[in-house]
Amino acid sequence: MRARAQELLEKGEVKWVIGWEKGSLWYHSSPAFIRRPEEVERLIWDDFCANNLAKYLLDFTQLEGKVALFVKGCDSKGINRLLQDQQIEREKVYIIGITCPGVRDGRKAQGKGPEALETIPVEERCTFCTHPEPVVYDEVIDTGEKLPGRGEKEPQDRFTEVERLLALHPDERYEFWAKQYERCLRCYACRNICPACNCRECIFDRSQSGWCSKRIIKTENEFYGLTRALHVAGRCIECGECERVCPVGIPIMSLHRKIIKDLNELFGPYEAGLDTETPPPLGTYRTEDPDYFV
Amino acid sequence: MLKVKRDKLPQVLSLWSEEAVVYTPQEENGVSTFRPWTGQAELNFKPGSTVVPPKELFFPRTEEMYRYRVEGQAAFLEELPLPQEKRVLVGIRSCDARSLLLLDEVFLSKGYVDEFYRTRRENTLVVALACREPLDTCFCTSLGVDPGRAEGVDIQAWETEDGYLLEATSEGGKALLEKAGDLLTDVSEEPPAGVRPRLEVDLEGVTEKLQRMFEHPFWDDLWHKCIGCAACTFLCPTCHCFDIQSENRGNLGFKFRCWDSCMFPEYTRMAGGHNPRPTRKERVRNRILHKFQYFPERYGRLGCVGCGRCLDRCPVHMDITQIIQAIKEVALDG
Repeated sequence: MRARAQELLEKGEVKWVIGWEKGSLWYHSSPAFIRRPEEVERLIWDDFCANNLAKYLLDFTQLEGKVALFVKGCDSKGINRLLQDQQIEREKVYIIGITCPGVRDGRKAQGKGPEALETIPVEERCTFCTHPEPVVYDEVIDTGEKLPGRGEKEPQDRFTEVERLLALHPDERYEFWAKQYERCLRCYACRNICPACNCRECIFDRSQSGWCSKRIIKTENEFYGLTRALHVAGRCIECGECERVCPVGIPIMSLHRKIIKDLNELFGPYEAGLDTETPPPLGTYRTEDPDYFV
Repeated sequence: MLKVKRDKLPQVLSLWSEEAVVYTPQEENGVSTFRPWTGQAELNFKPGSTVVPPKELFFPRTEEMYRYRVEGQAAFLEELPLPQEKRVLVGIRSCDARSLLLLDEVFLSKGYVDEFYRTRRENTLVVALACREPLDTCFCTSLGVDPGRAEGVDIQAWETEDGYLLEATSEGGKALLEKAGDLLTDVSEEPPAGVRPRLEVDLEGVTEKLQRMFEHPFWDDLWHKCIGCAACTFLCPTCHCFDIQSENRGNLGFKFRCWDSCMFPEYTRMAGGHNPRPTRKERVRNRILHKFQYFPERYGRLGCVGCGRCLDRCPVHMDITQIIQAIKEVALDG
């Protein structure tokens, strides 16, 4: 990785390389932005490179020249998300894919020493992984590794929690979500990390729009959560970053997966971000689309 | 020194509950926060501080300030009663105890007293619990906080093998211990020393350095990884910014204030659309300068308590200790 980053920067093929660097804790790996060849030593790859770097490309749209970035399988779907949403130009990005072994859940390493590495499980999202290999790239680095647990479950199993919630009485289900969103701080970490949340200006950054109050209370928080979930409906690439970064542990992906499950049932199976050609189910119209609700 | 056996503590809390609402750390989905104690026998004093800091007991996420109504040409204001709830806050750590002293500076000093904050603060007795085990992200001692003894609290408690040692440090604290009566026994045990966190950072001279760094290129490289969310500021026990807005329904309305964050673009957006902190670069710089330059300039002490919440919960692991270290290493001319 370092060698390729150095080469690309030295030859002037790219202006920036986005990868990961080590934080001060052994289980923290953090996005890194490299613009000088001599800085490539900062780049690392380990089992904790969870962050999807695709969203950062929005910061470089005005740059003259290219940006190189490293992407795992799920991250690469984020690139397609931004391409399909016409937020970035393909020719301004140099994509170095990594066949992803899965990433470990850093939160489960808290309080443990590096010797516990092998005992730290992969992130929950990795257990359902269908695309460890990037779906879009200019070159690929094959790690040839696979952490225990990656892809061990059937993709369908990711709806287990959704089904559990659907089986609840509506009042209990409301109670469940009310409790979750009562904790919501409205920090917008879920929105800001999300490659599908790529509006130039978000409605929630206009607190006097009249749609949603800035009051951090359950009902307004719920409105925020639902609005975001519906706004990324059919476009969510299931990278799971929103849920991973939520500082108060809201199971946001259960909301997204409910919508994905519905879309699959209504419009046929669809996985967002696999390519840029297939239009998202809610971004297109077919005469055979179900219309019982019209 | 007085001591309460572990299994007797709920009885003590129960006695305190007769005249006040007792708040203890409680967990939901792995996220701990202070909530009213409702008689749980199991008390959740896990190592480290709660994920959500206790500041919201004094400075809530959202609170109504006053109401108004309009009738024809006339407008009427309705004052809201100040919060009356008496509270005992049990189990806060030394870092959070320090944060309350810093919030006192903001809300109670320099000629303006925030009545909402003042009443809550005066109605609350604080029982601090010394740290026996730091979290990986703790760095309180770098800020001069003693994990084994908190400042400005009413009772200091230390957890031992079979119970808690208690020492009253104010009149209010003494009254609480008296109320516990026979549940406490006099013992000759010495309180255990606080355990130093592993993470340390040297803050010597950082304020003076930052005073000369506003325009330094250092900030050009720092902000890239920040995604501009408010996890750090909302979880920070000393961040205290708020917005004031109103909501109207027909001829009725109310003013409220709610937490706000300097990480948000809207925070500094002016009426005409101009934004003096247009990008994340200026916003990240502001957060660092507020903690380590503006706060000490105004109040004479650093605005960070070393609780480590920001580096624990940051979506991209922005690490304030690494940032301070990097500031120390910046070379300045002259």
